Amino acid sequence: MVCWSVGVMERGKMGPKRQLWVLYIAIVLGILPCSSHAGAKVTGKLSVYVVNYPLKYFAERVGGEHVRVVFPGPADEDPADWVPDIKVIADYQKADLILLNGAGYARWVNRVSLPRSKMVNTSAKFKDQYIRTKGAVTHSHGSGGEHAHEDAAFTTWMDFNLAAKQARAIAVAYGRKRSTLKNTFEKKIIELEKDLFALDRNIKVLVSNNQSQPLIASHPVYDYFARRYGLNIKNVHWEPDQVLTDQLWMELQKILKTHAAKWMIWEGDPIQESIAKLKSVGINSLVFNPCANVPQKGDFLSVMQKNVKNLAVAFE
Amino acid sequence: MINIRQLEFHYQIGGFRLSIPEFSVERGERLAVIGPSGSGKTTLLNLIAGIIIPERGTIGVNNVKVGELNDAGRRDFRITHIGFVFQDFELLDYLSILDNILHPYRISGALTLNKKVHAHAAALAQEMGIGDKLTRRPNDLSQGEKQRAAICRALLPQPKLILADEATGNLDPDNKTLILDLLFRAVEDYNTTLLTVTHDHELLKRFDRVVDFKDFRL
Amino acid sequence: MLDSLYIAWKYISFNKLKTTTLVACIALISFLPMALQLLLDESERQLMSRAAVTPLVIGAKGSSLDLVMNTLYFGDEVPELISMASVERVENMDLAMPIPLYVRFGTRGNPIVGTTPDYFEFRGLIVAAGRQMALLGDCVLGAKVAEILDLKPGDSLVSSPENLFDLAGIYPLKMKVAGVLAKSHTTDDLAVFVDIKTAWVIQGLGHGHQDVTRLKDPTLIYKSSESNVAATAKLYHYTEITKDNIDTFHFHGNLGQYPITAVIAVPYDEKSGTILRGRYLSKQETRQIVKPREVIDGLLQDIFRIKNVLDAVISVVALATALAIILVFALSLRLRQREIQTIFKLGCSRLTIVRLLLSEIFITVLISGVFCGAMIFTVNQYANEIVRMLFIR
Repeated sequence: MVCWSVGVMERGKMGPKRQLWVLYIAIVLGILPCSSHAGAKVTGKLSVYVVNYPLKYFAERVGGEHVRVVFPGPADEDPADWVPDIKVIADYQKADLILLNGAGYARWVNRVSLPRSKMVNTSAKFKDQYIRTKGAVTHSHGSGGEHAHEDAAFTTWMDFNLAAKQARAIAVAYGRKRSTLKNTFEKKIIELEKDLFALDRNIKVLVSNNQSQPLIASHPVYDYFARRYGLNIKNVHWEPDQVLTDQLWMELQKILKTHAAKWMIWEGDPIQESIAKLKSVGINSLVFNPCANVPQKGDFLSVMQKNVKNLAVAFE
Repeated sequence: MINIRQLEFHYQIGGFRLSIPEFSVERGERLAVIGPSGSGKTTLLNLIAGIIIPERGTIGVNNVKVGELNDAGRRDFRITHIGFVFQDFELLDYLSILDNILHPYRISGALTLNKKVHAHAAALAQEMGIGDKLTRRPNDLSQGEKQRAAICRALLPQPKLILADEATGNLDPDNKTLILDLLFRAVEDYNTTLLTVTHDHELLKRFDRVVDFKDFRL
Repeated sequence: MLDSLYIAWKYISFNKLKTTTLVACIALISFLPMALQLLLDESERQLMSRAAVTPLVIGAKGSSLDLVMNTLYFGDEVPELISMASVERVENMDLAMPIPLYVRFGTRGNPIVGTTPDYFEFRGLIVAAGRQMALLGDCVLGAKVAEILDLKPGDSLVSSPENLFDLAGIYPLKMKVAGVLAKSHTTDDLAVFVDIKTAWVIQGLGHGHQDVTRLKDPTLIYKSSESNVAATAKLYHYTEITKDNIDTFHFHGNLGQYPITAVIAVPYDEKSGTILRGRYLSKQETRQIVKPREVIDGLLQDIFRIKNVLDAVISVVALATALAIILVFALSLRLRQREIQTIFKLGCSRLTIVRLLLSEIFITVLISGVFCGAMIFTVNQYANEIVRMLFIR
């Protein structure tokens, strides 16, 4: 605009006063679009930062094109253990919304500064339903009473009814930020809830066949799942990609004495050696991926649907 | 120079009356007026200077009827035509000697202070032997030096008449002689007239004429 | 005219003692009411401008003035503490954005303000150097604090013990300066900001230490069982949060019960603000909600009432001083009668004499004016600090 106006002035050989007016008008016209663009930014996409993949999925399902959801954790690290660096923390601080899982998930949150007004604890509404973990070694200072770290299990999304509540909390948060889009978000959350409730129903039906059968879980990440669907699960601490040690095998043997499980639920694909060893004592393996991080293939829903199919085998 | 006819004057408070039928002083004359205290010698000087005006009679100074001028006229006439020398010098403590000498030029619009006047003041002071004291204050000078400074102040506007009221009254004998010498020299050098009020009978023989004031009082 | 001024100047500079006394009297009596007004205007500006932009403050019931002074101006008087539950209560009401504040501790004479990053956005504070606080143990300095303490990002700052004699009390914490704020010309320039959790670490409610389940030194363990390990007092608590030990930092108990001094509530709109205020009206309520503007208005009214009394006193003193000055001039005139008579005799007009005397008065008043102006200028330069000293700290 300014270059055009300079050209006009040169071609027309205008007087100085006229030249100034042309330049002034050009500048004003040049600025107007920029300012309107700047104005558009304010009502543009919500920038949403999350602490794990399930929340990312829920946030994207509910927000659609109106949100930009970011989970900056690396793909090969458990989000529960991941700690962001200062640059990433700064990105979180600049977000419009920071979605937290709650129940002590992402301990790094307690050691950083985040704007409280942007933080949404998606499980706050069902705090009373958190599962307190037993067996954690507490510590205290001096001869005074115990000051236990009251750890809670944090894989709340594994109870699909609670997952729906977390998703609903996201929709409410979106509605606060973009009140004109409340109806849009409502439509989307209803659709997501349908999918999650379908999963919930399917599993309930699935496990009704042999609900009380003893099961072993490779990691204590199925607490909410077990509670919701009434499953009898005991936990070990086995990594799917690591060779079983004698000690780990001994621990399993101890459990099997009073908990004769026939199935081991793995959070990821186990190595053949582990499958074979379990098979040798009559334990089959199935994978029920908690999907805490971004899956290599598919999305949260497709992964869970696959999980349900895998689980079905144990309850046939 | 001075011509007084049928002069009558009295102070409202105190009842002092002065009556002078006739009195004159020639140009260039060195006149001494003597008389007892309270006889009106200073009153005469004030009448001649136009500080006070008579009830009757005329006072002519340098052919100007002083009594007939208005206040401003008399002031201007006084400062341009008459130089005063006082018994107590009446120098201002807070001004330097040079500023004291130049003082009349700063308090009257009838006189214009310029570089020429400055130079004249310095020359006058040099003549009086106090050329090196111009930046000092009166308190730093001796009595004689102070009176010399006062004489410079009186002479600077080149007055036609010098009125000296007991100019040697507060001086030691050497300084009295010196001051009188300076006054007499000024009369010659500047073609001025000197009218001195004095109590000092030792100095009278040096004057051209001596007038006894007791003849003028009613 | 110039001659009159010249002579007047000579007289004035000769009579140094008299002139100095007169100048001092006139300068002081002129300075006092102006300085008072200046300080009051500055205090009104400082106090009211801050109060006007802070919608609501929630704190423990008690002195609303102490609450507002501590919350807005980081005054020394710490109000009764409330808990983070007050913040959660406001959040749950969904009527306002709550910003917790914990203004209790200090460092090298400057207040430490424990808060959240929301505070900076609310106050429009921008980081001029370094970065915003991100990690536990970070602090962000107000512009003036950084200037006075000569600190920049990367430096460290140790919190001051609350009580010199309470050796078992609050430990000093070595904080890392993450950033320095741009000048805001408000109280924020004089504060050291930390995350509210860092403030709790300073208090000792949060701490970091070695993993008690992996201690090798037996003297560090008081009692050990399968479910709990009790450490002795010998167990060292870290006094600095580094990247190596930050993961050991933890908080015991329920964070909802952790203490704060106040909550700034920023209502979403006027109606929400009114409703919010209504929620705290119950007689059983243990918290109070105040409009800082109203509290400061009340304070300023009191200050102005005192000012009126001071004005009256100063007026009387000014009158006495004026009379004394007139007396000095009158006596001086009397003493100079002879001088006046002499110059009159020499040929000076009465008008010129009056002009000479007026010139002396003019120069005296002018010099007094210059001194008064210089003093007012100095007070103006330091008005901010003086007001803080008088009304806030």
